[in-house]
Amino acid sequence: MAGSKTERGLVITDILLHIHKPLYAHIQLVQNEQESVGRCGPTAVIFISPVAANLSSVSAGGVTLYDNVVRSYKYTPLTFLPLNLYEQFQRAANLFFLLIVVLQCVPIIATIPWYSTMLPLLFVLLVRGFKDLATDVGRRRSDVQINQRPCDILTPEGFETVKWKDVRVGDILRIHKDKVIPADLLLLCSTEPHSLCYVETADIDGETNLKFRQALTVTHAELNGESAKQNLESFDGIVWCEEPNGNLHSFKGSDSKILQNCGRLKLKKTRVEILLNKTVLVILLFMLTTTLLLAVGAGLFEYRVSPQYDVVSVLQRDSSSAYLGFLSFWGYIILLSPSMPISLYITLLTDSLSHTRFEVIHVVHCFLIGRDVEMYWEDSDSPAQARTTNLNEELGQVGHLLSDKTGTLTQNRLLFRQCFIAGHIYGDIAGEFKPLDLSWNRFSCGGMKFSDQRLVDKLRERSSPECQEFFTALALCHTVMSEWRDGLPHYQAASPDEEALVCAARELGWVFLSRTRETLTISEMGLTRNYQLLAILDFTSKRRRMSVLVRDPGGLLKLYCKGADMVILERLQGDWLLQESTERALELFAQGCLRTLCVAVRSVPETLWTEWSRALSQAGTATGNQDTALEDIYDQMEKDLTLLGVTAIEDRLQEGVPETIASLRRAGVKVWVLTGDKTAETAVNVGYACKLMDPDTILIEGEELRQLLESPSPDVHLMSKETEVWTTDRRAEKSKAALVISGPELCQSVLCCRVTPAQKAEVVEMVRKHSTSITMAIGDGANDVNMIKTAHIGVGLCGVEGSQAVQNADFALAQFSFLRRLLLVHGHWSYYRICILLRYFLYKTTAFALVHVWYSFYNGFSAQPMYESWFISLYSTMYTSLPIQCVGFFEQDVSAKSCLCWPEIYSIGQKKQLFNPFVVAVTLLYSLYTSIIIFFIPMGILQYSALDFQTLAVTVETSVVLTTTVEVILQTKFWTKWNIAAVIFSLVVFFLSTLALHSTRLFTASPKDYFFLGASPNAFSTPEVWLTIFVTTCIAVLPSITIRALGVVLTNPNKHKIHSSKKESVELQRFRRGTFQRRSSYAVSQGKGFGKLITTGVGLHSAAPPKDGRVTADGLKKESPQGSQREMNGDVSC
Amino acid sequence: MAASYNAKEEDGHLSGSSGLGGTAIRTRKPDNTAFKQQRLPAWQPILTAGTVLPAFFVIGLIFIPIGIGLFVTSNNIKEIEIEYTGTETSSPCFNCSHNFSWNSTTPCKCVLSFFLDQPFESNVFMYYGLSNFYQNHRRYVKSRDDSQLNGDLNSLKDPSKECEPYRFNEKPIAPCGAIANSMFNDTLDLFYIDPNGTKNPIPLIKKGIAWWTDKHVKFRNPAGSNLTAVFRDTAKPVNWLKPVYELDTDSENNGFINEDFIVWMRTAALPTFRKLYRIIQKKNNMTPTLPRGNYTLEVTYNYPVRSFEGRKRMILSTISWMGGKNPFLGIAYITVGSICFFLGVVLLFIHHKYGNRNNSSDISN
Repeated sequence: MAGSKTERGLVITDILLHIHKPLYAHIQLVQNEQESVGRCGPTAVIFISPVAANLSSVSAGGVTLYDNVVRSYKYTPLTFLPLNLYEQFQRAANLFFLLIVVLQCVPIIATIPWYSTMLPLLFVLLVRGFKDLATDVGRRRSDVQINQRPCDILTPEGFETVKWKDVRVGDILRIHKDKVIPADLLLLCSTEPHSLCYVETADIDGETNLKFRQALTVTHAELNGESAKQNLESFDGIVWCEEPNGNLHSFKGSDSKILQNCGRLKLKKTRVEILLNKTVLVILLFMLTTTLLLAVGAGLFEYRVSPQYDVVSVLQRDSSSAYLGFLSFWGYIILLSPSMPISLYITLLTDSLSHTRFEVIHVVHCFLIGRDVEMYWEDSDSPAQARTTNLNEELGQVGHLLSDKTGTLTQNRLLFRQCFIAGHIYGDIAGEFKPLDLSWNRFSCGGMKFSDQRLVDKLRERSSPECQEFFTALALCHTVMSEWRDGLPHYQAASPDEEALVCAARELGWVFLSRTRETLTISEMGLTRNYQLLAILDFTSKRRRMSVLVRDPGGLLKLYCKGADMVILERLQGDWLLQESTERALELFAQGCLRTLCVAVRSVPETLWTEWSRALSQAGTATGNQDTALEDIYDQMEKDLTLLGVTAIEDRLQEGVPETIASLRRAGVKVWVLTGDKTAETAVNVGYACKLMDPDTILIEGEELRQLLESPSPDVHLMSKETEVWTTDRRAEKSKAALVISGPELCQSVLCCRVTPAQKAEVVEMVRKHSTSITMAIGDGANDVNMIKTAHIGVGLCGVEGSQAVQNADFALAQFSFLRRLLLVHGHWSYYRICILLRYFLYKTTAFALVHVWYSFYNGFSAQPMYESWFISLYSTMYTSLPIQCVGFFEQDVSAKSCLCWPEIYSIGQKKQLFNPFVVAVTLLYSLYTSIIIFFIPMGILQYSALDFQTLAVTVETSVVLTTTVEVILQTKFWTKWNIAAVIFSLVVFFLSTLALHSTRLFTASPKDYFFLGASPNAFSTPEVWLTIFVTTCIAVLPSITIRALGVVLTNPNKHKIHSSKKESVELQRFRRGTFQRRSSYAVSQGKGFGKLITTGVGLHSAAPPKDGRVTADGLKKESPQGSQREMNGDVSC
Repeated sequence: MAASYNAKEEDGHLSGSSGLGGTAIRTRKPDNTAFKQQRLPAWQPILTAGTVLPAFFVIGLIFIPIGIGLFVTSNNIKEIEIEYTGTETSSPCFNCSHNFSWNSTTPCKCVLSFFLDQPFESNVFMYYGLSNFYQNHRRYVKSRDDSQLNGDLNSLKDPSKECEPYRFNEKPIAPCGAIANSMFNDTLDLFYIDPNGTKNPIPLIKKGIAWWTDKHVKFRNPAGSNLTAVFRDTAKPVNWLKPVYELDTDSENNGFINEDFIVWMRTAALPTFRKLYRIIQKKNNMTPTLPRGNYTLEVTYNYPVRSFEGRKRMILSTISWMGGKNPFLGIAYITVGSICFFLGVVLLFIHHKYGNRNNSSDISN
C-alpha cells in the first residue's frame, strides 16, 4: 500500500492493516541507497522469526503451534441457517412478530388472519439473511486475500515465497523494505548497520514516526557478514523471556494490542432513536394498559351482559368470563400490534417491515451523501462515504466537533514560504505564485512554494553573505538524514518543519548531501563542502531550539542554532541591530499564520570548544541528573548568538478549513482540536489559522485555567462566553484533562495538546458525559480510531487509502471542508426528514390502531377489528408509505445554499426542536384526537342509517387513508414530481385495491378471505358515505391546518430566521485585526534522541555521497496545482 | 397561493467524461444528476397570510351551505318509528314478549296502531330496528360459513368450525353459525285504516332490499333443481321455525338467497341498528304512498329481545338523494363550516394584531 505520508521524510510505506488481521508489529526497513548498491544487492533483507501468530492454533506433534490463518467469517454452509435465524430472532422486534404470528395462528384469538404479519416477517428475515450471507462471503474473500499474501521464509533450499497463512511459529522470514509484517516477529538481523530496522506502528498506536528496532548483538554478529547464508542455514536459537512475560505468545488473538486497541465495537444509536425507543416503550406500556383494560372490559361484558344475551353467550361454550377476557387480551394484542409500530422495530435497531422502510430512508440518505458531487475529491478520486447507515439524523445535531489536527485540519505538508534575512523579507504569500526557475540547480526536486527572484539572484551572485550564511545554517542545523534516489537527495526528517527547511535550502542551492557520524556534506551552489560535526545540541520541547556545532572547511568553529523566536532572541548578542525590523517581520509572519523559526549563528573560539567539550563529556558520564546538567552545558554554548534570519513555514491547512470551522462555529458547533503535537505553539498557530480562535480571544493555558476553575469566582461565568481555552496538558494527566473538560459548556473552542490516542477518546467520553450534545470526532490516522469510535459520530478522512480511521469511521470524507456540507446540508436535511418521518409514522400508526379501541366500546370488547384484515396489512405498506417515503427522500425545508449561507439553521437539530419528548407527546395526542374523530364522526353519522358494518369499515378506512394523506401533503414543502406521483399513486392504489379486494372475482376464488364482497362499490356509490368521509377528514386535519395557518399568519418562521441571521452573520464575520500575537514554533514532533542517534553513528554509513546525480526533477513532490486553482468546494456566495 | 417553481438545471454536461480517450478512465466521481445531487425540480408552495386566511373563509362558506342543505334535506325526510318490544304492560305486545319461547308453534301476534299526521309522498322504506343487540361481537361475527352460503356443497355437508356450536345438529346445519341462527323472524304487516274504518293491507315488496352483489354473488343456493332435495341432509338452525328452503315460496327468494336472510347476514356495525325490511312503492303520482291517517302494524312476535333488554322497532321512512333521515351529517357540516369561519376571523385578528407586516412583504418577493 503506497502511503501518502511520504512527505514526512523517511520513506514510509503505510501499512495496510486489515481489520480482521491482528498484527503485532510492522517492521520496515529504511534502506540506504549507497549501502544497498555497495553491498547487498537491490534488496535489503531482514531475517525474523515469528514469535506468536494469529487466532487459530494447529496442533503439531503434541505441541500446540499457532498457524497464521485469518478466519473472520461467521457462517459455514451448515451453520448458516440455524445461526442466522438464531441471530435474527435475537432482535426483539422479530421475536415480537413471531409471537404475533403464533398468536394469529390460534383460531380462538386470531383477530386478523396470520398472513398479514407472516408475509412481511418472512420478507424481512429473507432480506436480512441475504444481507448477512453477502457480508460473510465478502469477509471470506478478504480473509483469503490476506491469507494469500506472499512472504519469504527460509527453507533448506533457501528463501521461498509462501503465503501468509503458511507461516508457522519458528519460521525464519525475510521481509523486504516497505512490506507489511505478517505476524509478530523477532528481529534477528537486517542489512542495515547494527541490524537496525525502522518500523511504523501507525496501525497499532497511531504514531506515524518511525521507530527503530535493533536486533540483538548476538544474532546480528552471527548472521551478518561474509558467511551470512551458511550461518543462517545452521542457525538455531532459543528465546528466553524475562518475567513478567514468560513467553512470547501470551498476547495473541484477541489479546493482541491491535485488537485491544480497537476498543469494543459499540452499536451506535442516535439520539432520535433513543427517544424513539422510549416513545415506543411508552406506547407499548400504554397499549398494554389499554389492552389490559379492554380485556377487563371484555371480562366484565362476558360476566354481566353476555349471560342474558344468549345469542353470544352460547358461543362461549362454558368458558369463564375471565378466560374470555384473557382471550380478548391476546386478541387486542394482535389488533393493536400495528401501532406498537414500526417504532418497536426501529427501536431495537432491527429491521422489520417498517424498520426496513426506516432503514431504506437511512440507506438512501447515505447513498445521497456518497453521491454528492460537492463532497467528491478529484485528487484522490474519493467520494464521501457513509459507512454506518443509521446515524444520518445525528449529523444534523452535532454539538461538539472534536478534530484531530495533523492531517485533518492541516495537510501536514509544511512549506517554506518566507524568510527574513538581514532586514529584508523575501517571499510573498499574498501575491501570485510564480514558480522560480531553478533549472540551474541540479539537485532541485521541485515542490517549492517560494518565489522571490531577488533572493535567488542574491544567492547566485553571492552578493549577500548573510543570505549565504543563513542557508548554510539551514543546510547544517538539523537532524535530517538523506537518502539517495534517482541521483537526488531525499530527506527523512523526524520533524516536518526540519524537512521543509532543509528542502528549501536544497532548492535554493544549499544542498545537504549526506551526513556521517562526524561529517556533514553540503553543496553550496554546486560547491561540495565538508563540515566536521562536533556536536548536536538536541531539541527538547523545553529548550525549543537545537544547535549544531561544526568546523567549517576553513577550520572555523561555528554554532548554528535555530529555535523559537522567544528563545533565540533572548540569546542574541547585546547590540542587536535589526531588532525593530525583526520584530515587525515576526509579526507579519504571525499574521500570515506562518510558523516562524529564528536562525542564529555564533563563532566559537577554539578554547571555548575544548573547554566546553570537556564539560560535555563529563556531564555525559555523570550520573544523576544528566538531563539538567546537559541543558546547562548547552545553555552555555547557545549564547551571544548573531541572528541570521527568520524562517516562515506554512503549515498548510487543508482547503477550506477556516471557512468550514467558521461556518460550523456559526452553526453553534463547538470545535475542539485534539492534537498530539508536543508543542502548544504549533497547535495554537493552527488554531488561529483555521479560525478556531479569533485573534482577540483570550487564551487560558492549563495552569491558569486550573486556577480559574478552582477559584469559586463568578467571573468564570461572565467571561466564559468569550473565552477560548488553550490547554497544554504537559504531562497529559488524566486529572488535568478532566479538569478542563469539566466545564465543557464554558469553552467555545478548546485546543488540547499532547493528547495520546487513548486520551482523545477520554476527552470525547468526557464531553459525552458532561454535555448533552452530540459529539462528532474527525481524524485521519489510526491514532484517531479510538476517538472516532467513542464519539457519537466518527468521521474518517480518507486521504490515506485504506486507513484505519476510515475503517472505523461512520462517515468517510476526503477533505475536512466537506464536513461543512455533510453537517449543514446533509445533516440538517437528514435530521429534518427523519424527524418528520418518524413523527408521521407515529401519528399514522397510532391514529390507525386506536380506532380499534374506540370501536371496542361498541362491540363488547370482543376485539372485533374496525377494518378489513387486508386493509390492516396493506395500510402501512401500500396506502400510506410512499408519500412519506418521498418526503423522507426529497424534502428540503431549506435549500442547500441557504443551509450553507445561514448555518444558524443548523441549531434546530442541536436543540432537538423537531423530535423531543414534547413533540412526541403532541404527536401522540394529535393522533389520539385523529383516531377519535375518525371513529366517532362516521359512527355518529351512520348510526342513523341502515348501513352495515362493512360500509362503516370502508368509510373509516377511507377516512384514515385520506386524513393521513392530507397530513403528509401538509407536511410536504418540497414537491418534486415523485412526491406528487406518490400521493396520487397511494390514493389510486388504495381505491383500486379496495375495489379489487371487494370484487366478485376474488370472492369466488376464496369466499373466506374476501368476504367484504361488494362493500366498497356499495359504499362508494352512497353519497352519504362520501359526505361522511369528507367531513371526517376535514375535522381530523383541521387542527393541523390551523396550527400551520397560525404560523403563517404570525410570521414566516424560516424566512424570518434567515433574515435575522443575515445581520448576525455580518457581525460574526467582522473581526478585529492588528492584535495578532507573535507565534513561533518549532514543531519537532519526535522528541529528542535523534541527535544522539546521529552522533553515535548508529544508522549512518561512512560512505561518501554519490558523485553524480541525474538532474531530473521528477514529479516527486510537485505541488499539486489543482489545490490552489480548484474552486473552493462547498464555497458559496451568500 | 403563491408558489415558486424553481427548476434547477441539470448541468450534467459538466461532469461528462473528459478523461483520456474518454472511455477507459473509471472514476468514482458521482454523476451530476438532479436526483443524486438533490436538485430535483420542485414546487415549493409558499403560504402567506394572504392565501391562508381566505382559504378558511372559503371552506367555511362552502361547508355552511352544504350543511344547511343537508340539514334541510334531512328534515324533509319523513320518518316514523314504532317501538313494539312490549316491555310495558300497556303495550299490545307485552304478552307476546313475556310468553315467549323459541319453539312455540303457535305464533303470538300483536297489533299496534299509529297515526301519520303527514303523508309520505315518495317510496317508503320499512325497517326493523334492534337495540342492544351485539351483532358486531367478534365471536358472533365470525360464526358463519361464507362458503356454505355461497352454495359450496362440501361446506354444506361439513360447515366451517367457525360455526360451532351451530355447526351440527345431528345433521349439518344449513345455514350454520350464530348469525343465521339468530335471524330476525318477526313478521310485520302494515294496514291503512280508511276514514271509513276499512283495513287496507299495504303492499310490502320484499325483493330488492339486499345488495345486488349479495343476492347474486355472495349468496347462492347449492346446485340442484329442487331446494328441498338439496337441503335434505341438513338440519335447520336451532332457533328457526322452518328450514331454510321454506323461507319463501318464491324460488328466487328462497333458501340462501332469501333477501330477509341476506339482509340479516350483513351484520350491523353497532349494537343499535336498523335493517331494511320492506319497500312500499309509490303507486302513482296522484296519491301519496302513505296518506295521512290511521295505520295498524301487525306483528307476528317471534323474536325475543327481553333477555338482553333489547328493543325492537319498526321504522317507516322516505328517502332522499342522500339516503335516510340523518340530522347529524348536516349539523356536522354546519359546525365545521362555522369553526373554519370562526378560525378565519381569529386568525385575521391575530394577523392584524401580531403579524409582522414587514416580514410578509419580504416573503412575497
